[in-house]
Amino acid sequence: MGRERGGAAAVALLGALAVAACLHRATAPPVPPERPTPERLGGPVAPADRFLFVDVAASAGLSRPFLAGRPGKDHLLDSAGAGVAFLDYDRDGRLDIYLPNAWRLDGRKIVERGRNALYRGRPDGTFEDATDAAGVAGEGEWGAGVAAADYDGDGWTDLLVTNFGRNLLYRNRGGGRFENVAAAAGVEAPGWNTGAAFFDADADGDLDLYIAAYIECTLEEVLAAVPALDWKGLEKVALGPFGLQGARDHFFLQEQGRFVDATAAAGMEDKARGYGFAVRAADFDADGDLDLYVANDSDPNYLYRNDGAGRFQEIGVWSGCGLDANGAAQASMGIAVGDTAGTGWPDIFVTNFSQDFSTLYRNLGDGLFEDVSEATGVGPATYKSLSWGTALADFDNDGDLDLVVANGHIYPQIDLHPEILGTYAQRNTLLENAGGAFRDVTDRAGPGFQIAAPGRGLAVGDYDNDGDLDILIGNLDLPPTLLRNDTPGGAWLTVVCEGPNGGPPPIGTQVTVRAGGRSQRRDVAASDSYASTHDPRLHFGLGGSERAETVEVRWPDGRHTVLRDVKARQFLKVGRP
Amino acid sequence: MKTGRIDRAFVVLAGIASLLLWSAPAGAQQHAAGTPAEMVTTYESLADAILSVKATEANLVRSILSAGYAHAQVELGRARAAIKSNDAKAVQAAIEGLAADVAQLGTEGDNAVAAVRKRLVEGGHHHHADGEAKGIYDEGFVVVTRAAKSAFLDASKALGQMARAPKAEALEAEWQKVQATYNSLMKPAR
Repeated sequence: MGRERGGAAAVALLGALAVAACLHRATAPPVPPERPTPERLGGPVAPADRFLFVDVAASAGLSRPFLAGRPGKDHLLDSAGAGVAFLDYDRDGRLDIYLPNAWRLDGRKIVERGRNALYRGRPDGTFEDATDAAGVAGEGEWGAGVAAADYDGDGWTDLLVTNFGRNLLYRNRGGGRFENVAAAAGVEAPGWNTGAAFFDADADGDLDLYIAAYIECTLEEVLAAVPALDWKGLEKVALGPFGLQGARDHFFLQEQGRFVDATAAAGMEDKARGYGFAVRAADFDADGDLDLYVANDSDPNYLYRNDGAGRFQEIGVWSGCGLDANGAAQASMGIAVGDTAGTGWPDIFVTNFSQDFSTLYRNLGDGLFEDVSEATGVGPATYKSLSWGTALADFDNDGDLDLVVANGHIYPQIDLHPEILGTYAQRNTLLENAGGAFRDVTDRAGPGFQIAAPGRGLAVGDYDNDGDLDILIGNLDLPPTLLRNDTPGGAWLTVVCEGPNGGPPPIGTQVTVRAGGRSQRRDVAASDSYASTHDPRLHFGLGGSERAETVEVRWPDGRHTVLRDVKARQFLKVGRP
Repeated sequence: MKTGRIDRAFVVLAGIASLLLWSAPAGAQQHAAGTPAEMVTTYESLADAILSVKATEANLVRSILSAGYAHAQVELGRARAAIKSNDAKAVQAAIEGLAADVAQLGTEGDNAVAAVRKRLVEGGHHHHADGEAKGIYDEGFVVVTRAAKSAFLDASKALGQMARAPKAEALEAEWQKVQATYNSLMKPAR
């Protein structure tokens, strides 16, 4: 069970440093952090009952429900749901929201093709529907995920919408308008596509693209599906994924706006034909290039290690993050990446099916991992629920990463036997970081966390620009949940790294903030969680520190920017050198 | 697709049965008290083939393991030589290669083999259905028991962790564990 660790709650205040912020530019190889040692894992413990989240989706104007196939979820596609995204598509400094949508079915009949939604953030914290004006309604495809990034470097955030069907690449033309260039760009890749990640795989300065795929199946098979899998001898539920053919993932290298399939050449062949769901690019071994982690449902997860030139080696099993501690492949759905124990290394959290632990792989250094789910309390707290989108984020601004998980079962039929597994609609989970271990604070996290729904995609971002992180969750057959964070927290700093042409933060940028005697690192990614995209601005909780000693930005090209003695409670814009 | 394969197999078997019935004397067709001997004989042959295929599967997986083990031995040799010559880069490459090979012993082959195994399980074929039920084998595994899998995976992770700061004794100790597990699995088949 989750351990509670004692420790001082206070974080020392910095003395008044009279040094003005200075800018340092240098080109240097990345410095790997020290290896973690047990005595470095301690940290302040926040008092209980400090979290407060309120669902404001309806009052904020997020009203469009997600259409999720048939009520009985006759095929896995009916219950897969989709990702969600926070982005700033109009560069007004406020977060906007993008929500893919799917279809409503009645048996074999297509009743309604859902429309994706782009909600533009207003200054008062509400949203207006800008879908039609922007031209991003989804072309009638069955939506699965969304990755938001400026793939063409023109300074405007573009949208890749993965689908069961053809993917869409909405290029942001500026002025609030998008155009679908997926066919010309070569990323339509018809199939059941899920999570995707833009990242610069070959260090040539542009963004490449990995798209995970789930199952090989046709629309005819989806429409003809009936619940045929025996569930505990009690009910018939949707078949799969066992018994269905896994679909191969795709990797594309970008060549001046066109994406060229380089899956085999890059060593990223999905040889196991894993049922891919979520993807995350990060520099797991601190060697200066971006590696890639893929969460597969019921198959070993992949860790593709980058050799720096865009050639990858799949090392998931022996590096310790492909299987759980028992050597078993899990039904993985979502990914969160972050330093949970203050070691300086990015850990990997993977959400899994019900009656199985979600898994926290602690980075032991150099991109080698150990399953610490049980020791940290994460496993027991996540055992019962069926988990999807997730994020490691500092929700109480105390200087460590907490964990949020979106939950919801895939079989509505379990509601006929709630004594066995609970219900189809489930509460989401909030785990508070207490010195590297986690404790379940869901019950005491406010009314927003008491809502039960079939949750799927999840993204975190400060939509109201008040210095704390809010949570957006997509639900099946319902509008989304927007959990406004009203937690009274500590000081904070949000670092906004400017991309080319003043655009969104470049993917792969790392920021390290040192404050109050501790060091925290975050990186900019396009898409993780469950096929979702978080706020690209990097948020740091500073606890009692009203200033950061240093803010160090490591840009994707290896250059550094260092700012000193930075005031807290601000959105700090850092320009690219 | 699977249904199609089953249908085709059924048609072939039905065809064989029809031919046998056609070739049997008319009297036997009218007064047969039991299954025609020719059909039993054919079934015997089929049983031999089925059982032989199962044995072939086991031998194939043993071959996969054997090849993986041989590859691991090569990497071990490279690692030993690199440690002696103090070539840190070569040591790391060799030990990581060794870790990957040992992991593949634990998973009875690489990801491509896993895809084949998944297909067999999906088709209802479990080489050790009884052993799986008893928790001795993971689903679809043929030679590597759960205990052996766990030992291989632990060793592969330990090797991976020592790749950047190897010690010759630690490497040998880990390899001995791998060797012992491998030898226990590769005893001659009954």
